[in-house]
Amino acid sequence: MNNLNPDTTRQTDSFVSESKPVFAGQPGLMRPWQFALALAILAGMLVLAGLLNNYYVFVLANVALLAMVGIGLNVLMGLSGQVSFGHVGFYAIGAYVVAILTTRAGFGFWGAWPLAAIVCAAIGALLAIPALRVKGPYLAMVTIAFGFIVEHSIVEMSSITGGQNGIMDVAGPSLGEWLKGERAIAVIAIVTTALCLVAYALLSRGNWGAALRAVRDGEIASESIGLNPLIIKTVAFVVSAVFAGLAGGLYAPLAGFVTPSSFGFIQSILFVLVVMIGGAGTLLGPILGALIVGVLPELLARFEDVRLLIFGVLLLVVLWSAPNGVVGLLTQFWRLVARKLIGTTGISEYVVPVPDLERRVRRTLRAEALSMHFGGVRAVTDLSFTVRPAAITSLIGPNGAGKSTVINMLSGFYVPSGGRIFIDEVELRGKSAYSIARLGIARTYQTSQLFGSLSVLDNVALALPCGDLDALLSDYQIRSQKARWRAARLLRWCGFEGRLQQPASGLAHVDRRLVEIARGMATDPDVLLLDEPAAGLSREDKERLALLLRRIAEAGIGVVLVEHDMALVMDISDHVVVIDAGVFLASGSPAEVQNNPEVRRAYLGEAGSAALDGHSSARVTDNAPEALRVSGLTTGYGAEPVLHAVDISVRNGHTVALLGANGAGKTTLMRSLIGLHRPILGSIQLEAIEISVQSTEQIVSLGLVLVPEGRQVFPELSVLDNIRLGAFLCPEDRDSRIEGMLVRFPRLRERLHQRAGLLSGGEQQMLAISRALMSKPRVLILDEPSLGLAPKIIEELFQALRQLRDEGMTLVVVDQMAALALALADEAYVFESGHVVAHGTAREIARNPALAKAYLGGH
Amino acid sequence: MLVLSALISGLGLGSMYGLMALGFHVTYAVSGTVNFAQGSSMMLGAVLTFAFAQTLGWPTGLAILLALLLCAAYGLLVEALAVRPFVKRGSDAWLMATVAMGIVLDNVVMFSFGKEPRSLHSSLAQTPMEIGGLGLGVYPLQIIIPVVGLCLAAGVHYLSRQTRWGTAMLAVVQNRDAARLMGIPVQRIVAGAFALSAVFAGVAGALIAPLVNVHSEMGTVFGLKAFAVAILGGIGSAWGVIVAGLLFGLLEALISATLGSGYTQIISFALVIVALAVRPNGLFGRAQVRKV
Repeated sequence: MNNLNPDTTRQTDSFVSESKPVFAGQPGLMRPWQFALALAILAGMLVLAGLLNNYYVFVLANVALLAMVGIGLNVLMGLSGQVSFGHVGFYAIGAYVVAILTTRAGFGFWGAWPLAAIVCAAIGALLAIPALRVKGPYLAMVTIAFGFIVEHSIVEMSSITGGQNGIMDVAGPSLGEWLKGERAIAVIAIVTTALCLVAYALLSRGNWGAALRAVRDGEIASESIGLNPLIIKTVAFVVSAVFAGLAGGLYAPLAGFVTPSSFGFIQSILFVLVVMIGGAGTLLGPILGALIVGVLPELLARFEDVRLLIFGVLLLVVLWSAPNGVVGLLTQFWRLVARKLIGTTGISEYVVPVPDLERRVRRTLRAEALSMHFGGVRAVTDLSFTVRPAAITSLIGPNGAGKSTVINMLSGFYVPSGGRIFIDEVELRGKSAYSIARLGIARTYQTSQLFGSLSVLDNVALALPCGDLDALLSDYQIRSQKARWRAARLLRWCGFEGRLQQPASGLAHVDRRLVEIARGMATDPDVLLLDEPAAGLSREDKERLALLLRRIAEAGIGVVLVEHDMALVMDISDHVVVIDAGVFLASGSPAEVQNNPEVRRAYLGEAGSAALDGHSSARVTDNAPEALRVSGLTTGYGAEPVLHAVDISVRNGHTVALLGANGAGKTTLMRSLIGLHRPILGSIQLEAIEISVQSTEQIVSLGLVLVPEGRQVFPELSVLDNIRLGAFLCPEDRDSRIEGMLVRFPRLRERLHQRAGLLSGGEQQMLAISRALMSKPRVLILDEPSLGLAPKIIEELFQALRQLRDEGMTLVVVDQMAALALALADEAYVFESGHVVAHGTAREIARNPALAKAYLGGH
Repeated sequence: MLVLSALISGLGLGSMYGLMALGFHVTYAVSGTVNFAQGSSMMLGAVLTFAFAQTLGWPTGLAILLALLLCAAYGLLVEALAVRPFVKRGSDAWLMATVAMGIVLDNVVMFSFGKEPRSLHSSLAQTPMEIGGLGLGVYPLQIIIPVVGLCLAAGVHYLSRQTRWGTAMLAVVQNRDAARLMGIPVQRIVAGAFALSAVFAGVAGALIAPLVNVHSEMGTVFGLKAFAVAILGGIGSAWGVIVAGLLFGLLEALISATLGSGYTQIISFALVIVALAVRPNGLFGRAQVRKV
């Protein structure tokens, strides 16, 4: 099973020998055609500025200023994914600094202009402190508020700003005899715009550009490769402020005067429009956007008033039909043409020989009496364990045991409520996630969090410097041959065989996992934390993953594995720690843990056939009509299916248990049945009506009702309102049916007017069941009804379920406690990795070894 | 006396902010989105009331009712055109799209209604009130506004708890997926929230029309301040935004009475920035657990 070994990596037709430069497909400046076209436009503008009359020179200069602000705003909107409706504030500050210094302080333009930029940088950095703590509409609000404050401050500070009247006669720079007035400013503006464009291009392809995109695509993941999102976003904010200030500084002499009315809110929207219409995140976008926003009104000079109306409609149209703006449309068109002309794009790929992981002694991670409380809920209590280097330590436990919480504490995303974490002698508790990453703890996530807009190679290369990004326009860290070779080797070593230059967003599921592991490895960690890496992988892929994890451990790294696939865990672990409800349960070698009776009980419930004896399986008859039929159900998230051609049949009046370890696909099945997860392949029939294409509300009205995992009562509503909501679709004789529910669950009657959120877990479960029964189900599905409940409550609950069963209700029960579910059921299905691996009567399944294997692994 | 009249007009203004902020709250609570150009909906309410009551000379009640119905229709339009398409794509461009819708509406109104500001005559805003011969310096309408505002908020509170659709809406707020499992049509609830939100803004517009100049751009700053209020109150809390609205209105009135109106914008917006820097989830908002 050495197919993972890079020695044998297949030699593809695009083989390039090691001595040659291998990054031929890496263009010098991202998108050469965009860069060329942008410079051509600016050159054309420069020529026109020499030829046209003063009025059109003014228009040209304005276009250049719009472009300049747009390029800056593009750093913010396009690269870092923030939005600002307040950049007119920086524009105004730039303009007023130049106007005040030149008219009142005796400065020349060339002295005042850089100062304007510096002032804007300082204010931008200051504003970034509140602005970047918030997101979306909140951020929009902060920036809008900033714009208004600047505008009104200018009005109020009339002693230096001239108030409403503004400042007149702002003198411009002259560039000798030939270039004076508007023409000189236009030339300066166009040249500066060109410089800004080059700076943007360098920034965008360099370390910081990649880091900005990484923070935008996955802020949390960016921290786990040592990036500090706050610093990175602040830099974007400052750069955009400086560009806006530079443009404002040119606007003052261009117009010859400044008044507050030139810097209203609507101007900020025009700036945003420049970026959106052109195409956010594209090199050429702001230039095209500025041309459209700056020139269009001139073409419509006779309809001055409709300018904003047209811009409004234009923005809507762009948002609807071309989210990437004009450049996006051009790119699509270009790709279409290019494909016809030259076939598939010929990005050079290469094969990389054996990798060289650094041989060094790696440190030991220790958790001491770790605790975590959320509000009053104890997620983890007094947990201690050690992660030795060069070994795999697995953390297992039933659903909700607190495993992911532990990973989040170790990696610094949660600050533990108690206890300490050490790597060798260095205390980690209380450190930020990015510092912990820099100290040698790498991690992956339950749902892989790659930087979708970066290439596979950049995802890994960006992690190499572990947060050390170098100068603003530098690209050494991620674009040097050394860095790219190293990243490429790591990727191949981790078994990634796809194209290195493709964007990570399009990767198949298994490749996402591998790239994420390679990215973690790129920080050269002491410890690698893996949160359910095998979830959703096929059997072959799991085998490859197992080999990879073994090799990572053999390279000296301490691997921490949280995983539900017990076969995998038991196969590869050196040491297993079992927790249940956040409390240490057992630890030891895989064999020791498998044979520990407490572990078996935690996983399988009160096992043994005792629970089954009270229940006769004679009810299993084949002549009852089918209530629910699932055939060939295949579905998943992204490329990899989570369910593979699942067939299930539930007969009228029967109770069917669906069993299997966590991650086997049961919850996805539930969500598919009820219409919360779409699309799906295959067919689902409820009493012969096809429901696989229906919406949830239609499915519920047809009589398939789900009691979801975790109860999900409406916490702020009273118990009575919760029950009433169950009758939303069938309000007739509601009150008498509610009375029926209260007879069934007398505990609810006492609490009828309390808020549902205050109920105990067991009461909430009863409420959730009553609520579902109010929808008049033909088939009732229960997802994990016993989860997190005390044994006594579970007994009471299952008594109620037995009663329902005996009344003839058709039930489908999913429960981690296999014995409980089997005691209730007539038939059962066992799931493993999205497949049905066993099916039979409850009695047969209880004795079937496939059951224990599905839960606890082993052969 | 000056302080008293400032307090009364501040309460009036504040309840308008609160009402519009409540509009932000209802859409945010059910869908996580807002109509960022809520000020335009308010302007629509004011302009339509003016057009029906003054230009066409209809009875005031009918004029306001019709204006509000059209506001509701506009809210539905915003949801269908500027919000739903983007939410479906998983994009947050709805923010920009609603701004664009606002610009379009402002300009359409400017063309059909005219550029020049007009004032709506109302018997409630002609002679300032007096008590015992002392002029209060406020119109009766300024007393009525906060009363109507609070009644409306209380009415919504009552309806949301006592009607089938009202509780369904609360259910969507508290747990979207669980609400679906009850067969509640979430999409229609979201659309309804946008209609309701526009109606709140329309009420604010219709009530305030006799006190201010009615024109196509009257809503912009008003709407932004209302959003500031919504954020300060914690956009997820209905009573939080109303209280924040009243406080904001009072504060503004006091600042303009003492420092002059020019400083109100500066101080109130600076306050928003400071408040968000200190409490990123709003004054009454709850911190969210960070999801990893």
